[in-house]
Amino acid sequence: MVKRHILFAVLLLFFAIACNQITKETAHQIASDTGKITVATFLANAPNWINKIIMIEGTVSHTCKHGGKRMFLVDGNDSVSVEITTGPDIVKFDEALVGSRVKVFGILKEERIDEKYLSEWENEIKKPQANHDVGVHTGAKGHMDQTAQDVLDQIAAYRQDLKSSGKDHLSFFSIEAVKFEELN
Amino acid sequence: MILRRKLQRWNNSLHRDLGYLFFGMTIIYSLSGVILNHFKSGDLKHPDYSKSYWEFEVALPPGGKVDQAYIDNVLVVADEKGNYKSHIYSDSSLRIYLTTGSITIDLHSGSAFQEKKKPLYVIKEFNLLHYNNIKKLYTWYSDIYAVALILLALTGLFILRGKNGILGRGAWLTVLGIIIPALFLLFYT
Repeated sequence: MVKRHILFAVLLLFFAIACNQITKETAHQIASDTGKITVATFLANAPNWINKIIMIEGTVSHTCKHGGKRMFLVDGNDSVSVEITTGPDIVKFDEALVGSRVKVFGILKEERIDEKYLSEWENEIKKPQANHDVGVHTGAKGHMDQTAQDVLDQIAAYRQDLKSSGKDHLSFFSIEAVKFEELN
Repeated sequence: MILRRKLQRWNNSLHRDLGYLFFGMTIIYSLSGVILNHFKSGDLKHPDYSKSYWEFEVALPPGGKVDQAYIDNVLVVADEKGNYKSHIYSDSSLRIYLTTGSITIDLHSGSAFQEKKKPLYVIKEFNLLHYNNIKKLYTWYSDIYAVALILLALTGLFILRGKNGILGRGAWLTVLGIIIPALFLLFYT
């Protein structure tokens, strides 16, 4: 009997420790040096905040159906949409959040796309169906709801953007959420 | 002979105890698996919500100006008064977010498209576990479950002896169970 109680207590302790690992370090960072950024000015300001903690507020326009690992924020209209991904301490972005005003604290991430990346992505899409989901190119730029033709069109559009940018890469920004609050 | 009996007893006990211990996980993964299977194949629009859609017509906003009074009118037409959350709009469309879904209005034609959603309680929580959204300790627990499934499968082969055991009927069924997925791989990939 005593043994059983000890085993139960150990299990509970194990769960408690594992569930309580929200990072004091990150919490400290949020408090001390959080930059504020808006949806409207996101694209212009993002390059200044790469890998730094920022706070952003907006209305959730979409959450990813495939596990809720991504959501998109808009503000007033949908001309600018900011991608938010779940960090290690966030379980998911539930569909119930769509339409809610949220405040997100997170780390701004940059993803670069160059010609090599586009070629690899294109090759993956042209492979048989079984290979589509195992590729590495279904991240920020792609979406699992898209058809193969949608993705090929998107790749062609990126090629065009890359050409007209005059640079060797395109930058895509997203925020890896550390925590978020629903405001309404 | 004694060793064989001992092994048989261990085999059966392991199969029995793992079966009891992981009964809950097996139900969770199998129910959620059916839902995710049909979501992946396109039969379901969302794994956590049931969704329905319909279209109707609404009057265009007076002077093309979208304001709260216009939105309130649309909500009355759609019988969604009290379910308003927020809205966004552009020159060509207005989207009203509701606690029960959303309404998208074409501001040129007045045609409205409504999506209604209802949470699939319990299944939603099962999917959360199946997708391993929780991460952390659950990653290890679900790995243990996966190993336990292998052990359940292996020990299951040796539960019975005789004509229904692995050297009789069991052998045919086991081989068939391996051939079926192999055939799918062969013909569909």
